[in-house]
Amino acid sequence: MKRNNRNKSKKYQQYEAIYTPESSLRHPVRLFKQMWLDLLSSRELAWRLLVRDISAQYRQSFLGIIWAFLPPIVMAAGFTLANQAKVINIGETDLPYPAYVMFSTALWQTFVEAINGPVKAVTVAKPMLARVNFPREALIVAKLGEVFFNFAIKLILIIALFIWFQVSITWTVILAPVALINLIFLGTFIGVLLSPLGVLYQDVSKGLTLITSFWLFLTPVVYPVPTEGVFGNLVKLNPVTPLLVTTRELATTGTISEPVGFWVVSIITIVGLFITWVGFRLAMPFVVERVSS
Amino acid sequence: MTSLIETEINQQPEETDVVISVENVSKKFCRDLKRSLFYGIQDIATEVTGGKRKSDSLRKNEFWALNNVSFQLHRGEALGLVGSNGAGKSTILRIISGLIKPDTGTIKVKGRVAPLIALGAGFNPILSGRENIYANMSILGLSTAEIENRFEEVVAFAEIAEAIDAPVQTYSSGMAARLGFACAVHIEPDILLIDEVLAVGDVKFKMKCHRKLSELRKKGTAFILVTHNSHSILNICESSIYLKKGELLASGDTEKVIRKYEEDLCLSGKENALGRMVIPPKPKEKSNGLDIVSLCFKDEQNKTLDTLLTGEAAYLSVECKSYEDINNANLGMLVTALSGGEGLVLYLTSKGDNEELEIPVGKSEIRMYMPCCSMIPGVYSARIYIRSGVYSYDIVESFRFTVKTNITISRCQFYQPRKWQVISNQNETGMTNNYLI
Repeated sequence: MKRNNRNKSKKYQQYEAIYTPESSLRHPVRLFKQMWLDLLSSRELAWRLLVRDISAQYRQSFLGIIWAFLPPIVMAAGFTLANQAKVINIGETDLPYPAYVMFSTALWQTFVEAINGPVKAVTVAKPMLARVNFPREALIVAKLGEVFFNFAIKLILIIALFIWFQVSITWTVILAPVALINLIFLGTFIGVLLSPLGVLYQDVSKGLTLITSFWLFLTPVVYPVPTEGVFGNLVKLNPVTPLLVTTRELATTGTISEPVGFWVVSIITIVGLFITWVGFRLAMPFVVERVSS
Repeated sequence: MTSLIETEINQQPEETDVVISVENVSKKFCRDLKRSLFYGIQDIATEVTGGKRKSDSLRKNEFWALNNVSFQLHRGEALGLVGSNGAGKSTILRIISGLIKPDTGTIKVKGRVAPLIALGAGFNPILSGRENIYANMSILGLSTAEIENRFEEVVAFAEIAEAIDAPVQTYSSGMAARLGFACAVHIEPDILLIDEVLAVGDVKFKMKCHRKLSELRKKGTAFILVTHNSHSILNICESSIYLKKGELLASGDTEKVIRKYEEDLCLSGKENALGRMVIPPKPKEKSNGLDIVSLCFKDEQNKTLDTLLTGEAAYLSVECKSYEDINNANLGMLVTALSGGEGLVLYLTSKGDNEELEIPVGKSEIRMYMPCCSMIPGVYSARIYIRSGVYSYDIVESFRFTVKTNITISRCQFYQPRKWQVISNQNETGMTNNYLI
C-alpha cells in the first residue's frame, strides 16, 4: 500500500520547490522551463474550469446560446435601419450591409471577450488564487477556450447569414482561423497585461468598458475602412483594424487589403503575449499578497 | 515564484526526510490598504524588471508579519503552530504553499502540498456535487484519471451519495464543508497544512476526519496544524512552534511550547506555572485587614508540590497575614482550565461547605485538604479570595498551577477514583476476588 502510494506521487516527489525573495527573472532558464511545465500541467485543469464555467453559465440562463446571437443581430438591425433612413451615411461595403455588420460585430465581440476574459477570470478566482497554488496559466487558457467556444456558437449565426445573403466565399476561408486566432491573441495579450492590475484596482475593469466602447468606433465594424482624413489615419493605426479586416476578407472576398499591417500586428501580438505571460507569472504572488485570503 | 529543481531522492539520502525547510524567513505587510496596493505595484515593477526589491527593510506603514522564522518538518511528522491572532500563522502557511513570496530567507518544499485552508476552493454553487468534485480536485492538482479513481471514496467519505447530482447551493453548510474536506484529504498529499478546519461538521464526522488524518500520517504525510485548541495539538503533534507578532518565540516539545503560549496568554504571565506563588507584601494602609501572602499545594508530608498529580491527595495552602481577628472568613477558589476550553472547572468555597474559618491576628495558614485530585492533566488558573459576607479582604486573580498524571486519563473530563472487582454468584462460599488499582 505504502509503496503504491509512493509510486503514485513519484512525479511530485522528484521536485523540490524553492521559494526565495529573489526575482525569478534572475534564473531565466529555470523560469522558462517552469512556465512550460506549468502550461502543460494546466491543460487538464483549464479543461475542468472551462467545463465548469460554461455549464454554470448556461444552466443559469433561460435564453442560453441565444445570447451569443442577439448582440450582432440587434446591432445589425439598428445600423441597417439607420443606414436605410439615411440618418448615417455609410459607404459601399463588399458584403450586403446587414451581413457586414453582423459578421464584423461577431468578430469584434470575440475580440472584446478576449480582452475581458483574463481580467474577469483572475478577479473572480481571487479567493481561489489566495488559497491554492495551482498553475495560474489555467485561468487564462480556460478563458481562451471559452472565447473560442462562444465564437463557435456565433459561427452558426454567421453560416446562416452567409447562406441567407448568398455571400460567395473563396478557398481562403480555410485561412481565416489563422487571422481570427491572431485577433483573439491580441485581445488576450491586452487582457493578460491588465489582469494583475485588475485584481488590485477596480479602475481597470471600469476603464476597460469605457475604452472598448470607444474603441469600437475606431474599428471598421459598422462602416468600411475609411481611406482618408484624420479619422482614416486613426482607424489605420488601430491595431485591431488589420486583424479584423483580414479575417473578414479571408472569409469572404479572398483579397487581403493590408497584408503588411496584418503581419506587423500579428508578430507584435505573439511576442507581446509571451512577454506578458512572463510578467503575469511574476506579478501574481504580489497580487495574491495584497488580496486577503 | 516557484522554482522546481529536479533532484533525485537517492542522491541526497540524508536530506530526504526533510519535507519542509524554512530558513530565516521574513514577510512584511502594510496596514494601509491604498499604500499596500501601491507597494504591490511597486514590487511587481521591480520583479518584472529583475531588480532588487530591498525586501529586507521596511517602508512606511509596513510591519513584519513574520520575522526571521526558521524550522524544519520531516516526513510523517506533525508540527503544531500556535499563536494568538495576527501572529503570522496563516502567513507562514501561505508562503509554504507558494502563494506569496518571502521577503527574506529561503523555503524548500518537497512533495505535494494540500492546503486545508482552502476547503472547497473553486466550488461553484450552481453546479452539482459531482462536477464540483472534479473542479476542486483538479485545482488541488490531480489529473482526471486520478480523480476518477478516488471519486467513489470521496463521495462515500463526505456521505453525500444521494445528493451528488444536486447543485451545491442546495447543500447544507455541513454537507458542503464535508465535501470540501473529503476532496482535500483524498488528494493524498505529502504535506497537509491544516488551518483550524477540524471544527467541520458534527461529532461523528469530526471523528472520521481525525481517523482519516491519522491514517494519512501512518502513510507518511507530514502535517502542520494550526489551532487555538491546545488539546488537539497536544494529542496530535510531538513538536510545535509558537509565533508571537511574527517572531518565533519557542519551538520544540509540544508540551513546553504550549505551556509557554498559555503563560503568555494569561495576563499574569510573570510567575511560573510551577509551585509556590508569593504575593509581594502590601503596606498596611492598602490592606483590607487581611493579606494573602503565598499560595501553594502541599502533599501530606507538608512538602510543597511543584505540580498536582491526578488521583493523589494534596493540600491547598493559603498563607495569610491578618491585622484583625476574623471569625467568619470565607475562602473561595474558582478554577478555570487554560488548556482546552475556557470553562470553570471548580468553584469551591468554605462557606459552601459550611465551614466558618477563624483567623487570628498575625500569620496563619489556611489549608484545604483534597483526598483525591480529580482534575485531569493540564494548566489551570485559580482565582482565590477571602471574604467575610460581602466584604472582600483579598483576592489573587490568577494562581496558575499544573496538574500532571501517572495514570491513563484518555478522554475523561475528570478523574473518577475507582476500584474493580468481580463477584462470582455461583460460588456458594461467597468468596470475592478484589482488584485494586
